Amino acid sequence: MRAFGVLLRRELAALFLSPVAWAALTFFLVVMGVSFWMLLDLLVRGAEASTGGSVVGQLLGSIFFWLALLILAPVITMRAFAEEYRSGTFELLMTAPVSEGVVVLAKYAAALLFYLALWLPTLMYPAILQGLQPYGAPTDLGALASGYLGVLLIGAAALAVGLLASALSRHQVTAALGSFAVLCVFFLVGFLPYLPDGELRPGWIHYASGVSHLLDFARGVVDTRPIAFYLINTVWLLWVTVKVLEGRRWK
Amino acid sequence: MPSAEPIVRAIHVTRRFGRAVAVDDLSFEIERGDVVGFLGPNGAGKTTTIRILCGFLAASSGDVEVAGRRVHEEPLEARRHIGYLPERCPLYPEMRVDEFLRFRAALKGVPATRVRRRVDEVKEQCGLTEVGRRIIGQLSKGFCQRVGLADALIHEPELLILDEPTIGLDPAQIRQVRDLIRDLSTRHTILLSTHILSEVEAVCRRVLILHQGRLVAADTTERLRQLRLGAQRITAELMGDAEGIRTVLSTLPGVSAVAVEPNGAWVRASLLCECDADPRSELARRMAERGWALRELRLEETPLEDIFIALTAAGEARNHHGRGGTQ
Repeated sequence: MRAFGVLLRRELAALFLSPVAWAALTFFLVVMGVSFWMLLDLLVRGAEASTGGSVVGQLLGSIFFWLALLILAPVITMRAFAEEYRSGTFELLMTAPVSEGVVVLAKYAAALLFYLALWLPTLMYPAILQGLQPYGAPTDLGALASGYLGVLLIGAAALAVGLLASALSRHQVTAALGSFAVLCVFFLVGFLPYLPDGELRPGWIHYASGVSHLLDFARGVVDTRPIAFYLINTVWLLWVTVKVLEGRRWK
Repeated sequence: MPSAEPIVRAIHVTRRFGRAVAVDDLSFEIERGDVVGFLGPNGAGKTTTIRILCGFLAASSGDVEVAGRRVHEEPLEARRHIGYLPERCPLYPEMRVDEFLRFRAALKGVPATRVRRRVDEVKEQCGLTEVGRRIIGQLSKGFCQRVGLADALIHEPELLILDEPTIGLDPAQIRQVRDLIRDLSTRHTILLSTHILSEVEAVCRRVLILHQGRLVAADTTERLRQLRLGAQRITAELMGDAEGIRTVLSTLPGVSAVAVEPNGAWVRASLLCECDADPRSELARRMAERGWALRELRLEETPLEDIFIALTAAGEARNHHGRGGTQ
């Protein structure tokens, strides 16, 4: 498992030292900042009712989360394999004594850690809210924790989509567009449960609705079904990624 | 493991890309301690063969063993014994030389306590001590090649596989890299792929010549050199029927290959002769016997390329003959 640690360290360095990563971090904080500012605006105007009673839901589960995720997950993962194919370093990597599985896990772990690092500064928002409400109802810490769990799970699956897209592409841009398209479909499917009854709204769609999953998590509902949904999807996407790399030997 | 066992054994290796056959039924062995040149024109299948040896590509059929391990079944074990410098030497441009070498050493399983020492050693060996802090993307092509070589050496592999190590270098750098390879050949088994004959002559003891995915020659460099020094080309211009001329010329003593082409009413023939044979007088006599006119007969110095072309053409002729075709 030493190879995993060695690769993880290199991948993290490559992510944190690339200008794309810092652009992503800036973009993310701007988006989340706007989101937080709008939330404050609502609260100041005493329009708490319009938050659906869930401050955490407004903070983590708004359209801004999806905007950020749909752009960031592809951007974080697009380089992972596409860049190694293009520059030829993939040959250097895969003729060292490491297996495809370890390589995929290391690149995935690095992407996930980077994603978590992006979210770290957002912890200040609930802290600010607590400070602003010395006598009001404090932010529900339980809901906050489960909200962040939802952010982690959905992000984990989205990064696995991005990694697979990168393993299938020779160019970063192709990889980013591919995973962006898949995530867009997933996001839009998430709105189907909110449509009026009809043919477009089969009963099972709720199980695949990221939008309602995240709102549930943000309300403090920790349901094992969405947890299993994201974990299973993450695992099979990573497995397919490993198989794609192995398949390149036969191409 | 007995050291008499060859370090590389390729057994009937074939590799197809779709319908194209890149490597066709290739079998060869490389003995431990040998320095082998892997020679062939561009597109002969050298890189494909090398990638199969390293387990980067799978063979469509056949088997490859490195250090007694079947590459397909135990790729990681086999790779531990190989130091590989890929063609065009890909590196991570954003890393510093030291950082890159430490990363590669750890990745290839050099014990943590030895990494620093090994990095210093290979830097010394490859002339990189001055550039350890430099970013790889800012290094010249020659330095990049040395970084690649240092990477190939870092885990002290038994077998070094170098794919076109001097391509894109200037003459001075080429000489440095060759000197380095010659230096390394005392401690490692080396497989050196190239399309430059003189490179093989400069450093290799044995040669494998590949053409269109097939092995057309496997010999010592000494024999190749004799062939080169002794071989000569004769050009003749004659009047007569082309096939008849070809038949007569190819039965001349010492002639290894004949090519004929019409030149107006005349026929222009090129003959490749072995070693010290000089069949010119015999040629003239036979022409006279048949009453064919002869207006030019000339002995030429053979450039290196001709031997190569002769060998690869012979391989082609065999192929065509085997398939019942004519050319």
